[in-house]
Amino acid sequence: MHKSWNLLVTERRVPPFLLSIATTAVLTFLLLFVRDNVETATVALLYLFPVGISAAIWGFWPGIITALISFFSLNYFFLPPYGTLTVHQSQDILALVVFMVLATSISQLIGRMTDNLNTAHTRENETTRLYELSLILANQHRELDIINSLAQHILKTFQVDQVEILAETESSNTLVRLPENPLPGMNLPLQPTLLISLQGARALLGEIRLWRIDKPISPLEDRLLHTSASQGVLALERARLSASESRARILEESDKMKSSLLSSVSHELRTPLATIKASVTSLLSEDVPWDSEARRELLSAVDEETDHLNQLVGNLLNMSRIEAGGLQLKCHWNVLTDIAAGAVKRARLASQGHRIELDIPDEFPLIFVDDVLMEQVFNNLLSNSMKYSPINSVIQVKARQQDDQTIWVQVNNQGPAVSEGDLDKIFDKFHRVTAADQITGVGLGLSICKGIVEAHHGQIWAENLEQGFAIRFCLPIHTEGEAPRIPSQ
Amino acid sequence: MNNQPQILVIDDEHQILRALRTILTARQFRVSTASTGEEGLALAAANQPDVIILDLSLPDLDGVNVCQRLREWTHIPIIVLSVRDSEQDKVRALDAGADDYLTKPFGIDELLARLRVALRHSAAQSQVDKKSIITAGPLQIDLAQHLVHHGKEEVKLTATEFKLLSYLASNAGRVLTHRSILSHVWDPADADHVEYLRVFVRQLRKKLEDDPEQPLIILNEPGIGYRFIADD
Repeated sequence: MHKSWNLLVTERRVPPFLLSIATTAVLTFLLLFVRDNVETATVALLYLFPVGISAAIWGFWPGIITALISFFSLNYFFLPPYGTLTVHQSQDILALVVFMVLATSISQLIGRMTDNLNTAHTRENETTRLYELSLILANQHRELDIINSLAQHILKTFQVDQVEILAETESSNTLVRLPENPLPGMNLPLQPTLLISLQGARALLGEIRLWRIDKPISPLEDRLLHTSASQGVLALERARLSASESRARILEESDKMKSSLLSSVSHELRTPLATIKASVTSLLSEDVPWDSEARRELLSAVDEETDHLNQLVGNLLNMSRIEAGGLQLKCHWNVLTDIAAGAVKRARLASQGHRIELDIPDEFPLIFVDDVLMEQVFNNLLSNSMKYSPINSVIQVKARQQDDQTIWVQVNNQGPAVSEGDLDKIFDKFHRVTAADQITGVGLGLSICKGIVEAHHGQIWAENLEQGFAIRFCLPIHTEGEAPRIPSQ
Repeated sequence: MNNQPQILVIDDEHQILRALRTILTARQFRVSTASTGEEGLALAAANQPDVIILDLSLPDLDGVNVCQRLREWTHIPIIVLSVRDSEQDKVRALDAGADDYLTKPFGIDELLARLRVALRHSAAQSQVDKKSIITAGPLQIDLAQHLVHHGKEEVKLTATEFKLLSYLASNAGRVLTHRSILSHVWDPADADHVEYLRVFVRQLRKKLEDDPEQPLIILNEPGIGYRFIADD
């Protein structure tokens, strides 16, 4: 498409004149045969033809040229005395004058029309091209995509040898250079042929540099390039605006989440603090003589509540790390039984009547995990099970090897079933199946488990069992797929 | 009174210093306190305490750095204090020469147990002959004779198993990092091969523990290492 458009722009000047002359010459030659049989007026009328045609096809100036040539041909060949430019009869003079006026008027009228038409065509082409560009840019939301599309557009439309677009932000620079693989043997100068700044409303967004060696850039192309550039500027500004808007939205959401966390946490922190404060001030007060059993009771409450607070703070810390994407795994080969046994031991100490069973086969592979975080998973799952299942019921920790690459673990209890719709939601932050005041905890335990398991490239889900409820997760034995090498002795 | 063990506590939290001073003095220890690393180093040199309790987060110096500087001239046992979730710091401090660690918040029983172990080790270091027979529950380990008995029965151990057991047992009560066990029992080049340790500890537990899943003698210290629990 741009090929024909280029023809119109650059090859219009020379041939039309020759063609005008040729047309007039052919007509003159034909008319010479019938010179004696036709009236001068008819000949003059016929000469208006090439004038009209030239003006219509090639424009105003070719029309005028044809008119002049026709005028002289008419005078020279068809007005007696033939072969001279002198005119004897006054009516012939009148005819010539009328012809001249008519011919110039016609070529002027038609020529202008044609010129306008051409300009309109060029404009239309320009508009189509810009429209296409703006359509493409409208669908791009990432800065890199935008400058890539703009570079593609410039490369194709203007047939440049190389185009570079640099987009600058406060923090980073992005450079796109097309074509990606320059033709071999093409040595471009350091200085670009044309440099266009991408000037935004408030700041310089970047610049376009382009190289075209074989032909200079015409004023029309220059104008078009600047218009394309301003389209690019608009798109870039839009992208940056929406990026900062979504950043603002994320901040707002994390703000919301923080305030809900804070309100939940401050409640959770105050409950154990209240117990501790009450117990300790009672013991400090000298009003009542505490017997040793009462003292012990109060002090045990303080002890338990400080453990509770400590666990809460640990969970909060882990949650904030998971949220910030800052959970750094320190993976080693580990024995799952050791990890689970540590958590089971702790749970048995804290338990008030639950029976906790550990069922992991003797021949269980070593797994490549962060043992500290994994123990946290077991701690949270067991403490959840103890919260939600009846006292004196059984809690079971069970693990099996699924295949060469995967193991699965299940912590099940005899607690009530969870409605199907809630099975996914229980891993959400602050989600609690039961009303908040019946169960202590911030509702972070399971979402921390999910964060840790997923950081290990595993999956975690909840299931209702025939009698009870289970959380299961599977883990790759080793993400890189190699087994540990163990010396034999 | 003067032969009571002297403890130096280095921590920037005044409430902790206050509490530890009260608690430890009540237990008949002599206590000195420092709230910065430099002050602690100076007091350690001046007072020659029997045990140093060192918090890892100090305002002026890195706790690990304090360990290194103390180890340049003394073998005084160091117990480091730190918060949970900083296993790496604890491991670094232990590898830099600390003897044991405690995670804040801790129960005082735990602290006293660690202090006893540390004092015993500092005493053992000054004596020429160390204990060659170690008992842990039903287990009796004769380090000199290379003999292990579970009750009356002799337990057969491979050479590596015995080497591992004797390293753990002769440091009874102290935490040993994976790195330190691996480089003592295997080779410093194998210091990162935790998997060796996992496999051999599992084998040892099967031979020595009544319930290998709930070990009482060789305990796990998640993220850090192992601890051998001997009878006092």
